[in-house]
Amino acid sequence: MERKRFETKTQMVLFFLNGSKKYFLLAIISGCLVSFMDMINPRIIGFTVDSVLGDKVTELPAVLNKMLISVGGTVWIKEHLWFMALLVVCIAALGALFRFFLNLLNAKGAEKLVHTMRNELFNHILHLPFVWHSENQTGDIIQRCTSDVEQIKIFLSEQLIFLFRIVILITFAMYFMFTINVKLTLVSSIFIPMIIGYSLFFHKGIGKSFEKVDIEEGKLSSIAQENLTGVRVVRAFGRESYERERFEAQNEHYTNMWVHLMRLLAAFWSSSDLFSYLQIFSVLCVGTVLCVNGEMSAGDFIAFNSYTTMLMWPIRNIGRVIANLAKAGISIERLMYIMNSKEEKDVEGAKDVDLHQDIAFNHVSFQYENGSAEILDDINFTIKAGTTVGILGGTGSGKSTLMYLLDRLYELPEENGSITIGGVNVRDIKLSCLRTNIGMVLQEPYLFSRTLEENIAIALPEMDREEVKRAAKIASLDHAIEHFKEGYDTYVGERGVTLSGGQKQRTAIAQMLISKPPVMVFDDSLSAVDAETDAKIRHALKENVGNSTVILIAQRITTLMNADLIVVMDHGKIVEMGKHEELIHNGGIYQQIYELQSRSASEVSK
Amino acid sequence: MSENKNVKLKYFGIPKLLPFVKPYKKIMISMIIMGALSSLIDSIYPLFNQYALNHFIALKTTDTIVPFIIVYIVILIVFVILNFVSTTWAGKIEMSVNRDLRNASFNHLQELSFSYFNQNNVGYVHARVMSDTGRIGQLVSWDMMDMVWQGSYLLFVLINMALINIHLAMYIMLIIPFAVILIIFFQKKLVALNRKIREINSKITSNFNEGITGAKSIKTLVVENKINHDFDVDSDDMEKTSVLAGRYSALFSSLVTMLSSITLAIILWKGGMINQEGIIMIGTLSVFMTYALNMLEPIQSIVGGIARLIAIQVNIERFTTLLETQSDVADRVEVVEKYGDTFHPKKENWEPLYGDVEFKDVSFKYPDGNEMVLEHFDLKVPQGTNVAIVGETGAGKSTLVNLVCRFFEPTYGQVLIDGKDARDRSQLWLHSNIGYVLQTPHLFSGTVRDNLRYGKPDATDEEIWKALKLVNAEFVIDKMDKGLDSEVGEGGDMLSTGEKQLISFARAILADPKILVLDEATASIDTLTEKAIQDAIFTVIKGRTSFVIAHRLSTIVDADVILVVKDGKIIERGKHAELMQAHGYYYDLYTRQYEEMVTNTVSEIA
Repeated sequence: MERKRFETKTQMVLFFLNGSKKYFLLAIISGCLVSFMDMINPRIIGFTVDSVLGDKVTELPAVLNKMLISVGGTVWIKEHLWFMALLVVCIAALGALFRFFLNLLNAKGAEKLVHTMRNELFNHILHLPFVWHSENQTGDIIQRCTSDVEQIKIFLSEQLIFLFRIVILITFAMYFMFTINVKLTLVSSIFIPMIIGYSLFFHKGIGKSFEKVDIEEGKLSSIAQENLTGVRVVRAFGRESYERERFEAQNEHYTNMWVHLMRLLAAFWSSSDLFSYLQIFSVLCVGTVLCVNGEMSAGDFIAFNSYTTMLMWPIRNIGRVIANLAKAGISIERLMYIMNSKEEKDVEGAKDVDLHQDIAFNHVSFQYENGSAEILDDINFTIKAGTTVGILGGTGSGKSTLMYLLDRLYELPEENGSITIGGVNVRDIKLSCLRTNIGMVLQEPYLFSRTLEENIAIALPEMDREEVKRAAKIASLDHAIEHFKEGYDTYVGERGVTLSGGQKQRTAIAQMLISKPPVMVFDDSLSAVDAETDAKIRHALKENVGNSTVILIAQRITTLMNADLIVVMDHGKIVEMGKHEELIHNGGIYQQIYELQSRSASEVSK
Repeated sequence: MSENKNVKLKYFGIPKLLPFVKPYKKIMISMIIMGALSSLIDSIYPLFNQYALNHFIALKTTDTIVPFIIVYIVILIVFVILNFVSTTWAGKIEMSVNRDLRNASFNHLQELSFSYFNQNNVGYVHARVMSDTGRIGQLVSWDMMDMVWQGSYLLFVLINMALINIHLAMYIMLIIPFAVILIIFFQKKLVALNRKIREINSKITSNFNEGITGAKSIKTLVVENKINHDFDVDSDDMEKTSVLAGRYSALFSSLVTMLSSITLAIILWKGGMINQEGIIMIGTLSVFMTYALNMLEPIQSIVGGIARLIAIQVNIERFTTLLETQSDVADRVEVVEKYGDTFHPKKENWEPLYGDVEFKDVSFKYPDGNEMVLEHFDLKVPQGTNVAIVGETGAGKSTLVNLVCRFFEPTYGQVLIDGKDARDRSQLWLHSNIGYVLQTPHLFSGTVRDNLRYGKPDATDEEIWKALKLVNAEFVIDKMDKGLDSEVGEGGDMLSTGEKQLISFARAILADPKILVLDEATASIDTLTEKAIQDAIFTVIKGRTSFVIAHRLSTIVDADVILVVKDGKIIERGKHAELMQAHGYYYDLYTRQYEEMVTNTVSEIA
């Protein structure tokens, strides 16, 4: 599982190429064969024109000549012209077969490669520490995993393979052309570096213009986006005219840039048309003269022209492909950033521990690296196994952070105290063991795009409907679910029904209850639930937690007043600790809050 | 989503586009003529080869080589110019039509009512403005030009062949129906597969999204492996489908090249026989061979073009539907006559707004809903009254506000502004007198000054500073590098939520509205800003008629009228003290919020 970090781009590309390399290699071989087959037909036609239809003496290699004579020589072929046609079709069939393999193998290689990249990336991202997820922008990461992956695929399966094929094609064509006529080959090949150079030069330059146009398009797009998301503001301030002007101005600007760019492109296309046709024309003229002077035959002339035309498009494209190669480098770097981020992992000798034990926070201090104001300052207390502990504190008091440290969503630096379970430092417990056994209900839970049943049973997919229903009932979610037309099969999340905040929280509670973990953490998870349901859930929980250790985090005293121990936190410190009965006579914050909260509300309101 | 929809429009929906193409009629017609001319030249080139072979080479003479060269060069230059001009124009038409379509759709959106925006999400509408328009622009320029180029080329080639030797031409034309059937078959297959690929692709993207945004839940639930496994299923599916598509396209391109080789073979065979009879010369044979090789590409392009035309109907339909959508909140003809429309207000006829609002026997249901959310609702809000609306998230608190702003109109009954039905005056008149502060403050990219002036474009810096001072927002500007000229970034991203809130208060104040609508933020903001915002609210609503969707206790308690909303309906109304005494739903809501506030404030003070 453990993988070294990639030192170079090549290392990572080779890693991704595992499994697809063989396809690409076979594709290249097929490509060679295709090019070779493509080269033969012009020769056959040339031969037919010269020696079958004409009366030129054959110049075939000895072996072929022998075969020719054995069937009856050119005279026989002259009477059976279909034989040459058949030969052309056979060669073409072979060429078509290899072309099929080339494209198929290339597609297989490309898709295998993308598959590997996608899966490696996704798997890696899942195992990166939570800190990484909170530090990186979702949109940016998704773009890397989709567009950049696509870019690399294009680079390897289209651009590189294309370049390979072109080189082979040019080599073959040059060879065949040389065997026909050296002078004419020289005439033809003068143009090749010219056309490539011109196209390369142009595409290098035009790249920047494309980037600029992209930026302008982005601006236009975001004006529209802002207008649509801010439609209320636009209407309420009656600024429709202003929005219209803004959009039209940018639209005009963007359009003009494109029109200008299009003119450049059109100029390039037509000028390179000019070069290509000049090349063909030069070959035509010089070839004609050579033929007239008797240095070349008509058949060779036809074959030579075919080769020149065959090379025309590949040569015109080569510059564009080379100019685009640089894009791949950037994409590879962007993926390397993800692949080289360190995964979460257990320390050596990490073990599985029974979590039905005391949880101790020993002088825990913590501060976020990103400079968030929330801190923890010397937190020191113990939660006895099987008891219920309440943590009370306002926004920003550090109560959630404490739980994230316990679950190791954030790692506590060694010098900042320790958290132990049954005397074992959480850092020495296997992550899987720790997190499976600590059930956490987050304040803002995330639901997956699946059905409600699948969401509730996500951690234990083999659970049957009855278990799911039981958990939903404890979480007071059963009635809400029955209200949905499709009940437990209701699809939620991105492409389904949107649940209210309270329903989401209750789903998350059911999600945790179903696996009956030995430690249950409720991180302010009843905040969006109304008072009545809150009480009902607390009651049901009490009967169902069994011997689990329960940690309740809340802002409301009613939620946690029955706990065996209540910890009051403020600005990252523990300010009070004890049972409800003790704390209400302590004269501290808790008492103050209790008195204010329990005073009849009508009294409070002036 | 709607990608699967098969849309069939009359004449492919092209008549609907005519108004947008009309301004470019002349340039389009000349473009088509030029394109056809350039194809004509393209089809003439092989005749030069023919001449060289039949005249120069066959007769061993170079007598006419000078005029030969001159004619070629002249034709080449004409060809290059034709291509340059027609591609430039195609680009210009594409971009101009794009621009016009974008403007038309954007401007139309400025006048559509809110029910449209409630029923269509921003992403969907945005795609109508930005991408459908692009596809349509491409259709009327490049797709059309492609048909012209390729279609006329094919036609000229067929004519040339028939003119040269009708007998041989017939053989070649036999191939065409086979080619067409082959191409249509594969085109259909590939279109279907590509659609499937796009669907799987969007699944994969949302998988990535889930893996990143749901990281906290995935980790605490320890479902990495399950999520990864589900991803693999989609990823495998993607690979399989893509390879299948690759297989078809490999087969397709092989068969097409095979087919052109067969044509070549037929010419060699039959043509060779004719040649032996002395009817055609070698040069003529070579022309036929060139045509045979070049004929299949235009057939492919034409079939592809037709397929695109069919596919593009979806875009045309979506786009024209948008333009044809009528706003269900529209000013009557006589109102527009007096007060002007959205883009041409007649401000000289606008009377000042005082600020009395009255709901008179209002019943209301949302256009997309089927239940009345207000029934026979009466409420008098004299100038200067502060109305608070409370209830849980998603309970439907915005309904009243939507009616006051005339974002929606009552189904029955009237909303009176200064004693007159709101529908008797223009929307722009009302909106110019309303201030609106959103819960999630919406800023536009641009400078702070641009944003502050949004409601009052001619505000001086002095006025701006005065407004900022009133809401204690000077500190926000002071800490920015360029003061009022600082950029706020897209959606105001450079500022914190609290700061954006303050800026939007200042923006509302600057417009000096008679009626103020305010949706308080629920998001937790740092205490300093929180205090500033609370003070700002008091300053802003003083002396104005205001509707506040309230979350803060202080705002509620002091309100002149409190409306309590549950499940979309107003269930309680009255002053704070009355409602508390009633011990109803409001009492519960208030108590719960109060408890949370106590915890926070007590620990703040401590």
